Amino acid sequence: MIKFKEKRILITGGTRGLGKAMALAFAREGAWVAISYASDSASAGEAEKEIREAAERSLLIRADVSSRSDVTDMIDCVLAEWEQIDVLVNNAGIIRDKLLMFLDEDDWDSVIDTNLKGTYLCSKTVMKPMISRRAGRIINITSPSAITGRAGQTNYSASKGGIISFTKSLSREISRFGITVNALCPGVITTAMTETLDPAQKGELLQMIPMQRFGTPEEVAAAALFLASEEAAYITGQVLTVDGGLT
Amino acid sequence: MKDIVNNTAELCEYLKGLVIDTLRLDDVTKEEIENDAPLFGEGLGLDSIDALELVVALEKAFDVVIEDENVGKTAFASIVTLAAFIQAKYKDRE
Repeated sequence: MIKFKEKRILITGGTRGLGKAMALAFAREGAWVAISYASDSASAGEAEKEIREAAERSLLIRADVSSRSDVTDMIDCVLAEWEQIDVLVNNAGIIRDKLLMFLDEDDWDSVIDTNLKGTYLCSKTVMKPMISRRAGRIINITSPSAITGRAGQTNYSASKGGIISFTKSLSREISRFGITVNALCPGVITTAMTETLDPAQKGELLQMIPMQRFGTPEEVAAAALFLASEEAAYITGQVLTVDGGLT
Repeated sequence: MKDIVNNTAELCEYLKGLVIDTLRLDDVTKEEIENDAPLFGEGLGLDSIDALELVVALEKAFDVVIEDENVGKTAFASIVTLAAFIQAKYKDRE
């Protein structure tokens, strides 16, 4: 059964990794999929090609989610083409890992601005048309680092922890309009990044995971589709963790 | 819409209808909403989150944006203050 036929999905940072996996998963379920990217136009073009082949309709938009004008333009673009946004996935995020002693203001600001402020800007801009239609789904990508902390990630874990709090507070504001706001927390997922880990690093990570394996992007995408579905209509303000038991 | 905005009585009636329709106040009629009765707290008993939906509805109906919470609180005090707010916004555009 096609579950998301003609549903309009916007995924920020949807051209690589988990974002792309979610975009393809929605596309295969009949959704119209818009993805944004900040700067890597080469991989954006490749992703757009894949998604265009899978989706009935697709859009590729360049947008820096830490910029209010970029976010407004991005959402205006989707609304102009498709009239509505049914699901927003705040997936765009960056990492600048350093121990706090060496973490400069730019490392701090850029991570907070992209990850947390980006989530704020996109949610604030998309919520008006969602309130108008009394329907919508906002899914915010967080991290186990938000829950357990991780050395070298004070900035990243603060941004992702803030996303959890933001999610819960926003759900209390707008769930009455039929809009659910949830956080999705992927654990260690097989991506281009995990492929670069050496065996010792991989072993160390695997020891922490009760399931003794990394997750797949498809497993995370399945959770995103669930949160976006009608079956999740009474789930809001929650954190769905897909981490093999890591946390 | 400009004709309605220029006629305060008509604008107040329109706004009452907008409030009832937007917030789905099935048990309330326009006649039951007094022009200067509080919309929030007492009176209609709306809360600040109901205001969000009204903000969106106003933007759609009148192309009027309320970006500041304090401006919103003043505007939404009653039907009359809301009408005055919209009329002032329209006047600014001329």
